[in-house]
Amino acid sequence: MGHQSSKKAKRANGRKLHAVEIVLIACVCGWFVMELEILGVRVLAPYFGSAVYVVTGSVIGVFLLSLSAGYMLGGWLSRKANSQRMLGINLMVAGAWLCAMPFFIEPVCDGMFNVGLGEKWGSLLSAFILFGVPTLLLGTVSPTAVRWLTTQASDSGLNAGLVLALSTVASFAGCVVTAFYLVLLSLRGTIYASGVALVALGVMILVRSRRDNFQKSQRALGD
Amino acid sequence: MESRMRKVILIFVFCVAAFCQLLFVSVAAAHEFGQLIYQKDSLYHRIFVYKLGPVVTLQFGRRAAVNFQSQVNLRDLRQHMVEYTKLAFCGLLYKPQPQKILVVGLGGGVLPREMHYYFPALDIDVVEIDPEILPVARQFFSFREADKLKVHIADGRMFIKKQLRRDPVPKYDIIILDAFNSDYIPFHLMTKEFLEQAKGILADDGVVIANVFYNNRLFDAELKTFLAVFGRCQVFFGVYSTNAVLVAPGPTSQSLTVKEAVDKAMVLQRRHELNFDMLMVANQLRPNIRPDPRVKVLTDDRAPVNWLRTQRRN
Repeated sequence: MGHQSSKKAKRANGRKLHAVEIVLIACVCGWFVMELEILGVRVLAPYFGSAVYVVTGSVIGVFLLSLSAGYMLGGWLSRKANSQRMLGINLMVAGAWLCAMPFFIEPVCDGMFNVGLGEKWGSLLSAFILFGVPTLLLGTVSPTAVRWLTTQASDSGLNAGLVLALSTVASFAGCVVTAFYLVLLSLRGTIYASGVALVALGVMILVRSRRDNFQKSQRALGD
Repeated sequence: MESRMRKVILIFVFCVAAFCQLLFVSVAAAHEFGQLIYQKDSLYHRIFVYKLGPVVTLQFGRRAAVNFQSQVNLRDLRQHMVEYTKLAFCGLLYKPQPQKILVVGLGGGVLPREMHYYFPALDIDVVEIDPEILPVARQFFSFREADKLKVHIADGRMFIKKQLRRDPVPKYDIIILDAFNSDYIPFHLMTKEFLEQAKGILADDGVVIANVFYNNRLFDAELKTFLAVFGRCQVFFGVYSTNAVLVAPGPTSQSLTVKEAVDKAMVLQRRHELNFDMLMVANQLRPNIRPDPRVKVLTDDRAPVNWLRTQRRN
């Protein structure tokens, strides 16, 4: 990750953010994935009980599968010229989803129960409906971040390691803080606030990409 | 030469480690509740069963916050080894001739077994989440199912919710909430929303009873939640333990004064030849306990149960 020397290369990659910012974005998303996963268990418990299926099967399973799909999608998006805009939109949608979630937890979970799906399939489907989309969208961040950081093929492994390491540390922090402290607060309030934070982050990324595009076009005009 | 030396050292270290392990295991087996006679990891708990003479003890995890779950004297099954199983009979002071009761949480099965013994015609439903507990209760705690005493393997809240969907909704005269894991009561069995569901399957003149601990501020939160849902709540405090039993009467059920409770206890004691002192239970009634105003009602949305449990209460 050269700093001065690779400035020109950055442009070529469609990278408009500083390396620190990119890593920070990956960390924020790592945090929210785990925060959501831990709160997810508590979201489902009143409707499907605390049976082991709910915790390990449904919640953790859904998060892993959604992340996997998110990684795939993120990898694909990272090749696009407008990847920064796409990432901003992804985070905004994920945030908006979280903001709306408090209002559809009950209809979704009760709906599953009403059609006769119990703690196994009911909780699995509910977890998919509630958490699938935001987790998938948060999963798109890491591959994109790796792409943005990479200016040389030989650095790609190092960058991937860096992004994974730091975002996983953030996930750890998200776990601990959520399990120890955020559970003291209102569950719905926490999810809503996280949604607002994600929307704000998405908007910031989007604005940056537009401003950079604008500057670029200005420069192009000047030339 | 060097590599052989290394091998010898390795083998030596291994032997020392194995010896320490053995020593540790044998020391750990000598426990305050006697010899470890059964151990199993279920989906939910580490189940330990200890035996000291005729006394068998059920424990979830060795260093559990809840000291032990259940205790039985096999020589005298009528003896209540734990105070709260006596306290939980207080529901009979409010509803002396129940038809149908629900017990959430089986454990060693003392409470449903004793209820079945004194009231053989009573319909008893027991809900237990852990399928491994029932065989343990049968094998070590002298618990037997019967036509009138049925055990359902399910999460307590899911069971009650399913009862609510039945037509007609079955009504219980007494609902006893006694579901504990190694920590405490699972949070989703303490909230306002849960108690409202329980209220839905409660007969109008029935009572909901909850076994709790009164030495921390979670007690206040639970009491407040009961008051929020049922409007009234009376408490029987343990003398020898920090157990307390919350009693929330249904809409047409009478609240009791200590004197009324004692009178009813005398009748009950005589009629059913109870083998323990029901009068003492009645005397432990505190009819008008108010919760600490600073704690909030527990809801599905906000139930900081672990934190409240660490806050001591005077």
